[in-house]
Amino acid sequence: MDFYLNLINTIGIHTMLGLSAYLLLQTGQLSLAQAGFFAVGSYTAAILTVIFQWNIIPSVLVAMLVSGFLAFLVGFPALRVKGLMLVVATIAFSEFVRMFFYNLKWRVTRNGEEIGPDGTMGFAEIRYFSDNGWSNFEVTLFLWSFVILIMGVIWWSDQSRTGAVLRAVGEDELAASSVGINLTVVKVSAMTAGGFIAGISGGLYAHQVTSLDHHSFTVLLGTFAIAYPILGGLSNVFGTLVAVIFIQGLLVEGLRFLGDWRMILFGLLIVLAMNFKPLGLFDKQTMDLIKKAIRV
Amino acid sequence: MFTEFLQNCIDGLMIGSGYSLLALGFTMVFGVMKRINLSYGPSIMLGAYFGTWLYLNLEQNAWLVLLGTIFGTVVVGIYVERLCFRAIKSDSTIASMVSSFVIWMQLEEIAMHLLPERTYPFPAFFAAKTIEFGPFYVRSEHLTMFILMLIIVLILHFFLYQTRQGLAIRALSDNPMASLYIGINRSKTLFLSFFLVSLLGGIAGFFILSTDSQITPFFGLWATFKGLIAMMLGGMGSLPGAIIGGLLLGIVEANVFWYGDPILRDISAYLLLFVMLVLRPGGIFGQSIVLRQRLAQERV
Repeated sequence: MDFYLNLINTIGIHTMLGLSAYLLLQTGQLSLAQAGFFAVGSYTAAILTVIFQWNIIPSVLVAMLVSGFLAFLVGFPALRVKGLMLVVATIAFSEFVRMFFYNLKWRVTRNGEEIGPDGTMGFAEIRYFSDNGWSNFEVTLFLWSFVILIMGVIWWSDQSRTGAVLRAVGEDELAASSVGINLTVVKVSAMTAGGFIAGISGGLYAHQVTSLDHHSFTVLLGTFAIAYPILGGLSNVFGTLVAVIFIQGLLVEGLRFLGDWRMILFGLLIVLAMNFKPLGLFDKQTMDLIKKAIRV
Repeated sequence: MFTEFLQNCIDGLMIGSGYSLLALGFTMVFGVMKRINLSYGPSIMLGAYFGTWLYLNLEQNAWLVLLGTIFGTVVVGIYVERLCFRAIKSDSTIASMVSSFVIWMQLEEIAMHLLPERTYPFPAFFAAKTIEFGPFYVRSEHLTMFILMLIIVLILHFFLYQTRQGLAIRALSDNPMASLYIGINRSKTLFLSFFLVSLLGGIAGFFILSTDSQITPFFGLWATFKGLIAMMLGGMGSLPGAIIGGLLLGIVEANVFWYGDPILRDISAYLLLFVMLVLRPGGIFGQSIVLRQRLAQERV
């Protein structure tokens, strides 16, 4: 049972991470910095609950604000670069963040035990859930309430004018600015919102896995973050959720019986999906089919 | 003091020539396809693993390793081209990038199966020696790499500017639409440039690895990052840019390494890139594209 709950938690965290990249992809910004914001969120929340003994909800909210503010700052220089140059620039940013946490050492003694981030050794004493007697099921409920909240907000913005503006910028910047959309505002706010969401998911991730290691925040994580919405398609939020279930549930866990050869098949399956559906599994074509099926 | 600085610059130039070779591969693929091949570094890594495998299992001969590395890289390069670039429609740049990233993980896994340990020795053509030029020192294998870079650049220049195939590649990267109208076979030219780039990558990989005299699975990541950063510094799709960008990166890293902390070396590469992107988003030689876009924006 615990295995499945853990899997559901992982799916929830990765869905939030994917959604943070989803917003940016809608505006046409391909950012690998989500791994960096995720790392900042997880370290911030963990430091607040472990060293300052905060409650988890304010810690996650502060983590969200810190990551969002950082994303806001990154958003301005990122305006100047586009497309593939942005990819490399954001890789540079998230590696920079990773290097920072790799060297961060902040040990405090509490109740005769030394706790806090320990540079290369990682940050291993995040036991908020077990110290406060949360059951695994409660953790899953807590985590998924954030997932559902975020999915709801993005779903709603997709239906409203906000979503239309984001898409317009993503489709054609020139056309968007000629109808009076302020590109700077739209792009920077998309980046900030992405930072908020990545910060929340990072904060929850830190408490779910109970120990942090800079190896989990490499460019691999950033690529996964953009791979989910791309594989799922940008037409709605459920595409991202389905892609996360497909990758984390089916490919990563379901193929475990193949042992080490799993990664090879995994790569092939994703490339095949991209070959047949370059705009994602839930592109316009699929959505039309689904709509038709529902009507009949 | 000043001698030290000059010595660092010389070391940087030598190391930077390796970065330049990697960046040339990225910039050529970007030029003709307008896409990034993230699995370029890992395909060199897998090629080099194949070479090392030959070295360990057949004969201890550096030439065999060189040929094995080049052959392996070319085969993997063709595999990547077929799977990630040929089959995916030309307007979905992102799909290609994600696929090439997934193939990267696949290549790493295959390399681990081929040779399961972490580090393996990598042979060089001759034993390392130090050559003296007055007050300066140069390692012989570094010098080889630098001279090799110059030779490769000359050959590449000849190929691109003196032959019909080279003309086709340049036409395709300059204006894809117009080159289609005058009857250039797009997929054949793409294949040719991919082949060329893999060949280049195999040679570059062999010489970079033999200066390190060891190979690890991390080489793929390292090569992709250094090549990408060097390409972006010089300007995307520009051949002289790739060379200058690589050399600049080498010089900056060597100086940071000497005056600062070893940890700062990798950070300095990212910081240099970041500063360049803020001050001059197009890189050293790619500013014209950015300016054209900005003009279009202002006209609106």
